[in-house]
Amino acid sequence: MMDKDKLRKTDIYSGAAIFLFGLWIILQAIKMPMKDSWGGVQNVWYVSPAIFPLFVGCMIMLLGGLLCRTALKTVGFKAFGQTVRWLLSKGLLQFLNSIPILRFYTIVVLFLSFVYLTIPRIDFFLSAFLFLTVFITSFYFDDARLLKKLFFFYLAGIIVLILYFAIGLNDPLGRIVPFPADILTTLFIGSYCVYAWMLIRSSPMLRKKYRTAMIIAFVSPFVVGMIFKYFLLVPMPFEGLVVALTDYLWYFEF
Amino acid sequence: MVLLERIGFYFQTVYHLALDPINLAILFGSVILGIIFGAMPGLTSTLGVALLTTMTYGMDTATAMLCLLAIYVGGTYGGSYASILINIPGTAASAATALDGYPLARKGEGGKAIGLTTTSSAIGTIISMLFLVSISPMISFFALQFTSFEFFLLAFFGILISGTLTSPDLVIKGWISGFLGLFLACVGRDLLQFYPRFTFGIPELDSGVEVVPVLIGAFGIPQIIQVLKDRFQIGETQKFQRILPEFGTILKNIPKIIRSALIGVGIGAVPGIGEDIAAWVSYGAAKSASKHPERFGTGEYTAVLSTEVANNACVGGAMIPLLNLGIPGSPPAAMLLGALMLHGVTPGPMITFEHPNFIIEVAAILLLASLTMWVVGMLLAKQVVKVLRIPTQIFMPIIGVLCIIGSYALGMNIYNLYLMLPVGIISYFLIEMGYPIAPLVIGVILGPMADENLRRALMVSQGSFLPVFTRPVALILFLIIVWTVLSQFNLFKEYKNKLIAKIFPRRAAKSELLPKGGKE
Repeated sequence: MMDKDKLRKTDIYSGAAIFLFGLWIILQAIKMPMKDSWGGVQNVWYVSPAIFPLFVGCMIMLLGGLLCRTALKTVGFKAFGQTVRWLLSKGLLQFLNSIPILRFYTIVVLFLSFVYLTIPRIDFFLSAFLFLTVFITSFYFDDARLLKKLFFFYLAGIIVLILYFAIGLNDPLGRIVPFPADILTTLFIGSYCVYAWMLIRSSPMLRKKYRTAMIIAFVSPFVVGMIFKYFLLVPMPFEGLVVALTDYLWYFEF
Repeated sequence: MVLLERIGFYFQTVYHLALDPINLAILFGSVILGIIFGAMPGLTSTLGVALLTTMTYGMDTATAMLCLLAIYVGGTYGGSYASILINIPGTAASAATALDGYPLARKGEGGKAIGLTTTSSAIGTIISMLFLVSISPMISFFALQFTSFEFFLLAFFGILISGTLTSPDLVIKGWISGFLGLFLACVGRDLLQFYPRFTFGIPELDSGVEVVPVLIGAFGIPQIIQVLKDRFQIGETQKFQRILPEFGTILKNIPKIIRSALIGVGIGAVPGIGEDIAAWVSYGAAKSASKHPERFGTGEYTAVLSTEVANNACVGGAMIPLLNLGIPGSPPAAMLLGALMLHGVTPGPMITFEHPNFIIEVAAILLLASLTMWVVGMLLAKQVVKVLRIPTQIFMPIIGVLCIIGSYALGMNIYNLYLMLPVGIISYFLIEMGYPIAPLVIGVILGPMADENLRRALMVSQGSFLPVFTRPVALILFLIIVWTVLSQFNLFKEYKNKLIAKIFPRRAAKSELLPKGGKE
């Protein structure tokens, strides 16, 4: 959490955003049937589906306004002006380029790509292996320079994957080769591992960390995935190359 | 006769649960997992309960509760390891324990401190279990007289009080957080007329926002971001000697244990506030009642004892409103509510009719969980502490995968993931800006109850709010809500002080004589 002074400055904006959000809820709620007929039922205001959202919207708007007012009262309009000036200055760019913020981007991009891109389209084990390999190596090396390089390499790979799916290459390629997206992801993982190795090979300490990261990134998805797939009988979000292989082994053996 | 029957059934349940080797294995496994989740800074018992919930949906209700309550009890206790040995609270609940636990470890008395926390945590849980069994029938009977107005006001009070007490910054932020949770609960088709609200034509939103992915997102994702963004490192672990149960210290401090347990149960029973507040209040009470308050903070055994009894007593306390009113007493209890709903058990006053033995079963599980926790604490603490050596950069990404697969596994719906992640990222920003997350979660859980009961109440009264003032319980709840809100305003505080000065002139004169800051 930020310090009190910063918090009050942020409260001006968060209070205003919450006020507007409350207003939006009210505007949406008044579109709901209040006294009209819905599904053959003649409405009265007190059973309307709008009544509770209206109440919630009004409260959010009121509290957002109060927060904004309290913050402005505490730090004054001068501080508000200072914040606006900072937002328009180079200070903002410096802040956005700082290492903690880069760490934040990395985590968010990793999660977004995992949830919205790879999990619904690529075999779960490969998706999770890619996610863990990048996540653990980026942070476990504990080096801002390496983090930056590895992050941009991963970002480039993700852009390739986005283009691959956006262009619609998966379906025509799927008719020629089975599991084309999984093969592409395997290549991506392989190239990432080679790139990371090239970056750290000169340092014995980082080489040790690299090995640990690779073992954990490889073993964890299998342990977690196996528990969910074969013991809890939860089908994986997307079953591809590796699941086909594990299915074959599992049902062959038992 | 009924009482004897209930006691008989209680011991029968304990006996049956304890004799089944599978149950015992689950119990030990869950307690150890809970202790690990509690001990690892960055992981919490709430997250532990949330992740384990996803694995229990295939189990029967009793086994699932065994699993979840064991991880809850273990997680609440496990936080003390990191507090005592590395001076970093494993969970917020054990933050107060670090004040005196760490100095004890530095003096070379870490083993003694862990032994004391283990025994006092077990005692705290057992005392709270006794309260759960004895108070529940009364609350349940009382709650049966409630009508829709009372339930609406109760849900509203839960959100307000949770916002008031958990906010790390301004109280308004706690309330905003609660109302944002209520908004999330509005998403989907409404329960009375099936009208789609805030669904934007997305069919997956028709059934509303799933509670468990929201909980996993709100508690798991911000934790991962915070720990890795701020390069959180676990420090050097203090060495400790053999762990002994410290029965001598316990026997000497029975009145303090009872006081701390009462604080824990009382605070646990207040909707939405958790073990951390109970531990701090108990620490404060122990310090002010002590003959040597100056020793607090330098390694005082009674301080460690009072915080650990209170935070574990909170577990049973939190189950009282959860089981009898359907209102969770703490964030992990909110998660338990989600789990109970998954298993087709709807907590509330009807629970005594629909599942007559359920509360006794829960009490039996709490007893077994606390005994297991004690055994694990005494025998395996040295081994469990080794997990503190795992770097956060390794376990946090794995927790990320568990959050994702866990959210998906409930309902096998990939849409849950699409929802969980934005909730997690927004929660991170809210936490950074000083908004508490517990009221948001409580809001999501209590939203449908508040919505349905408000409209049902108005339907019965033909749109009149008069029953709020004519029904005694509704009026009391309404007055408490008004008091909770008004007491946050300076103008009200001034009027209150003036009024007190008029009614009690001596007390006012005495407080005026105190030097500034004397209250501190």
